[in-house]
Amino acid sequence: MSTNPPVITNETYAHRVARRFQADAFARNGLRMVIFLFILATLAPFLANSHALIRVTDGQTSFPIFLSLDPIEWRFLIYVPLGGVVYLLRRRLLTHWRIALCLVVAVIALVEIVLAYSHPINDPTNDRDRAASFKLLPPIPYSPIETTRDQFAPPSWKHPCGTDSTGRDIAARMLHGARTSLSIGFVSQSIALFIGIVLGGLAGYYRGWTDIAVCRFIEIMDCFPSLLLILVIIGIFESQNNMFVIMAVIGFTSWTGVARLVRAEFLRLSVQPFTLAAQAIGATDLRVILRHLLPNSLGPILVVGTFGVASAILIESSLSFLGFGMQAPTPSWGDILNESRRYIDFAWWLAFFPGLAILITIMSYNFVGEGLRDAVDPRLRLK
Amino acid sequence: MTTYILRRLLLIIPTLFGITLLTFLLVRLAPGNAALLKGGGGEGGGRAMTAEQRLATIKLYGLDKPPLVAYVDWVGRIARLDLGESWIDHRSVTAKIGERIGLTASIAGSALVLSYLIAIPLGVTAALRRGQGIDRVLTFILFLLYSIPNFAAALLLILFVAGGDYLNLLPMYGINSINASEMGTWGWIWDRILHMILPVVCLTYASLASISRYARVSMLEVLGQDFLRTARAKGLSERVVILRHALRNALIPLITIFTLELPVLIGGSVIIETIFSLPGMGQLMLQSLENRDNPTIMGITVLAALVTLGSYLIADILYVVVDPRMKYE
Amino acid sequence: MSAPFLHVENLGIQFGPTDNPLKAVDGISFDLAAGETLAVVGESGSGKSVTALALTRLLATPPARYVSGKIEFEGRNMLTIPEDELRKVRGKQIAYIFQEPSSSLNPVFTIGFQIQEAIELHRPEVRDVRGEIVCALERVGIRQPAERLGDYPHQLSGGMQQRVMIAMALACQPKLLVADEPTTALDVTIQKQIMDLLKELKQTSNMTVLLITHNFGLVADFADRVLVMFRGRIVESGPTAEVLRNPQHPYTRALIECVPKLGQKQRRLKVIDYAGIE
Repeated sequence: MSTNPPVITNETYAHRVARRFQADAFARNGLRMVIFLFILATLAPFLANSHALIRVTDGQTSFPIFLSLDPIEWRFLIYVPLGGVVYLLRRRLLTHWRIALCLVVAVIALVEIVLAYSHPINDPTNDRDRAASFKLLPPIPYSPIETTRDQFAPPSWKHPCGTDSTGRDIAARMLHGARTSLSIGFVSQSIALFIGIVLGGLAGYYRGWTDIAVCRFIEIMDCFPSLLLILVIIGIFESQNNMFVIMAVIGFTSWTGVARLVRAEFLRLSVQPFTLAAQAIGATDLRVILRHLLPNSLGPILVVGTFGVASAILIESSLSFLGFGMQAPTPSWGDILNESRRYIDFAWWLAFFPGLAILITIMSYNFVGEGLRDAVDPRLRLK
Repeated sequence: MTTYILRRLLLIIPTLFGITLLTFLLVRLAPGNAALLKGGGGEGGGRAMTAEQRLATIKLYGLDKPPLVAYVDWVGRIARLDLGESWIDHRSVTAKIGERIGLTASIAGSALVLSYLIAIPLGVTAALRRGQGIDRVLTFILFLLYSIPNFAAALLLILFVAGGDYLNLLPMYGINSINASEMGTWGWIWDRILHMILPVVCLTYASLASISRYARVSMLEVLGQDFLRTARAKGLSERVVILRHALRNALIPLITIFTLELPVLIGGSVIIETIFSLPGMGQLMLQSLENRDNPTIMGITVLAALVTLGSYLIADILYVVVDPRMKYE
Repeated sequence: MSAPFLHVENLGIQFGPTDNPLKAVDGISFDLAAGETLAVVGESGSGKSVTALALTRLLATPPARYVSGKIEFEGRNMLTIPEDELRKVRGKQIAYIFQEPSSSLNPVFTIGFQIQEAIELHRPEVRDVRGEIVCALERVGIRQPAERLGDYPHQLSGGMQQRVMIAMALACQPKLLVADEPTTALDVTIQKQIMDLLKELKQTSNMTVLLITHNFGLVADFADRVLVMFRGRIVESGPTAEVLRNPQHPYTRALIECVPKLGQKQRRLKVIDYAGIE
């Protein structure tokens, strides 16, 4: 029998996960799609706007698009380069991660404070009709909330995804709606991950009555169909169209999966020799949890987190569709679909394009989640 | 087994307590109810409430009593199926739910049964042809189905096969045609079936996708087991080996999957019944939410939670009954 | 002379990629006469279990590939006969006992049913199936067999489960019994009981037995002849007593030395020195 000697490499766990992930074509393309969606969402104001990027009138050059940006749009634009800087400096920052954290928090706080005091310049006019010796318009020269006289225009070169009942450009609304979906997906999942890790971690590490109590709590939460519970909370507290409340409610109702998983991981890991060794040399519980248990369960947590973003996006669009989420004029995919219901017998583009956008987004996240799961732990393989 | 079931039943008590407490807290904290106490608010869907109705609602939720007393009262009322009166038409919530629950249960029930019936053969086929073309295609299609939001699917189905500019094969809205009563018994039944096709399809496909993924994994696990080799070594045909020895084992874990699907189906029926104008519980839920009809909202919520809890219980007991390994422990 | 009972010639079985195959069985040949007991000895991965399973084509293809040779059982080549003919051989002519009784029995069927399946399939003439099952269980030393029929495998101990496996294998009176590591998963005391049972059954029913094992200790008073397999090849063969007394191949010597002997103090277990063998 030919023997293949065991391959010994100094490949780290993270590299191995990355390599396995890369080997999965679905996962790879899913991740590409997710990144692409992020870029689209980030650049939405530059891709779909009624203001010109550059305008030259009477020899004067101006950049009207920057004057028209909302604070929330500025914020999106600043976070991305901030993330890039942190990524590029990660090696240096990792050694002084406390300083890095303080720096990031300080920058975010500064941005928020400055934005809270600055007022958007409201410029209702558009640059499409304005005369200028030179103007560079965005690819879709309409803003998402701008109504035109072109009602129910089917897809054409002018409006690639058509227009709705008030003549708003669907392509522009969808590009900006991507921001709504992605930010709700991410923020609500961060909340869910936080609650799930804390409760699941406590249950898995301390066992006994803590565990029993947390498990009952999980079962109680799981008894309420999540969409129903979210609808009830939003309906009773009359908080539709409030993005932060919607994020919080989705987060507070979708942590049970994370908690179950973290609990199971902690139950498994807390009896492993390395945990016992850490406890034996007198490490505090907090140190054992943060230094030994949590890093070792990060892979599976990342997997549920990814699936969670997909389901949060789905819930958000369902809420908007039912009229309990983000509503016009705020662009949201679910809301476009909601409007399409009334005109379904002729305006197919109102349902088709946002439906496709939701489908592609959710599918990409699910592919990434599935690929991650296979890469992180072949035992969890579903393929 | 009896002790196991008894222990399982005991575990229900804290969960029941939690469900009622959570809904009670929601009611207490609801701004609409708080406003009632102050004598204002209470505009049920724009309709001003009479002093009498206001008092009834205050009594229902014990808004004027200390929280603990009010909670005990509330649990007692639920136990007697007294969910109060609707703020909209002043009818008993129990009666309102009662006349709509049948439709929702039959639609969600047929969706669940259908998805199991289709999902298991699909999952088993994919597992048997693991890694081959048919497995990849099936896996991809199921993944696609799993990711389509049901409201988008409903709208596109209406657009393409029910009315719209394209095919006009199936009715778009409602549970029966307007002239259904003139069709005779068989005509009426056929008409009802036609109306149910699209809603059931929209509820089925996502559950179908997720159940068949579980079925595939479950079957793959069984296919690697030693006892199949024993069965083959006995001389049994491949058909018997798969359909009798493998399938029986693969089906056991699938029993509990319906508990995962049930909450999804309940949430889905709110969307589907709204889109297809079906007078079920989901539609009632959305109407009540739009009209701020708190007693009805809370009634449906409690009911949905209790149904889900009941399904957990049934699944756990079924598991013990079906799996001989659990029976004697 | 008529065709030998079992004739294996130049059998080759591979796994893995065709360009860099894993040669699990690499051109082995041996004969087995009716009534004889042959032991195939080797460490795990030496290809002995693969050989045993190949006798009735029980290896799944893929991943396995039968690349060469033939397996003639009573004159018929088991590698080429059609599947439905083969199924009449499996269980009826050649029956198996596997290594792990707890996973080799189907957990969701009663032991009675699992034996019944074999009898109904191969001996349709039997009227009193129930009596036959009870008889089979009795023969393997299960007490009060009539009451055990409705038991599920997990209700029995490992030794009892292996007895059920043996009862199932013998229920159709096979000509050849392939015992693939029948005692490896069991406690030492139970191992002895099972081996004694097999020896007794072998004598009473005049069965041909192919014993697959990695344990030379089992071979000595059980098998007539021994084959030693190493990395897919037969490195030594001969009558049991002779091989034990005078092993030729260094690997055989190493294997024999691995068996701890009674009344002999050993500092540490022998480790096989593969470099010396190759």
